[in-house]
Amino acid sequence: MKSFSYVVIIFVSMMSTHVHALQLDADSSNATLSFSGQHAGMTFTGVFERWQSQLILPPNQEPSIKAEFILASAKTGDSTYDETLPEEDWFHVEKFPVARFISTQINLLVDGYRVEGTLELKGKGLPIIFNLHNREDKLIGNFDVDRLAYGIGLESDPGAEWVSQNIRLSLTINL
Amino acid sequence: MNRYPSVVILLHWTMAAGFIFMLASGLYMVNADISKAEQFQLYQTHKSAGVVMLVAILIRIAVKVFASSPELPSAIPAEERKLAKLGHLALYLLLLAIPFAGWIMVSASPFGLPTFVFVDWLKWPHFPGVSKNKSVEEVAKLAHLYLVIIMIAVLLTHIGALFWHKKKQGILLLNRMWW
Repeated sequence: MKSFSYVVIIFVSMMSTHVHALQLDADSSNATLSFSGQHAGMTFTGVFERWQSQLILPPNQEPSIKAEFILASAKTGDSTYDETLPEEDWFHVEKFPVARFISTQINLLVDGYRVEGTLELKGKGLPIIFNLHNREDKLIGNFDVDRLAYGIGLESDPGAEWVSQNIRLSLTINL
Repeated sequence: MNRYPSVVILLHWTMAAGFIFMLASGLYMVNADISKAEQFQLYQTHKSAGVVMLVAILIRIAVKVFASSPELPSAIPAEERKLAKLGHLALYLLLLAIPFAGWIMVSASPFGLPTFVFVDWLKWPHFPGVSKNKSVEEVAKLAHLYLVIIMIAVLLTHIGALFWHKKKQGILLLNRMWW
């Protein structure tokens, strides 16, 4: 019985260090989704406080990632930004409260996954591709969002003179 | 010589210092070769301080209504006393109109940035009905500039009048506005 327990422990520990048929829910309790960019030459960072996602990763038969983000929960800690972000020209949270990501294809990489899908922001869905890397007990992914392509801040700063055109999104999921 | 109540004297000199700060920061943030970050911060400071100036002139007007002002010495001719009153009225109106034009400008700006007073202690609202209105912003911007130019002219007259009355009637009116 005791030796059987050891086998179970070893087996379970192998499971946790090697990602096999990983399936999990990620949200702000076990993961961080942050964004950063430049404004007037200063770097700003923020997080989405409310979002949730379901990940079914290869080699599952039908891998998929679905995520929903509450745009009003984007917080930078700077009152000027936090007051401006929900406005019509930026996230327009009254009309578009939720942003969505739905994957179209997920492939296994040596150290993680290559994810292709559609990111819907402000009612506009555009394709994105990013890698999710396995780093110890974390899944880490970074990708850039072209805010102007989504019509974000198009009226205030169409030339990206003040706010950088690309906003970096960083996802860290604790496994 | 009768002098103004202490609260009026305090408001007068605080607002004088405030106006110099607003003029200097305004000219600097628009014209100086500074980084975007510094320019942005300076705009936010100028906006907050402008709210303080607007509130200050409202308090000043309220005090003016409720507190009695000392009469100008009778040695000053009636005609000049009348002009002095007109000049003071112009100063009040300008000190009200300049921050008001700034407020309209900020409220109508396509940036739609909020105005926080004292870092983020108080959020000053935008003036209603002008949001992201470029033509209103343009008019308010011109008004803000031209009113300041008029203000400088009226201020020079205000200070010049001190010397005028000292020379002509031998009266140092500055004593009315000092402790």
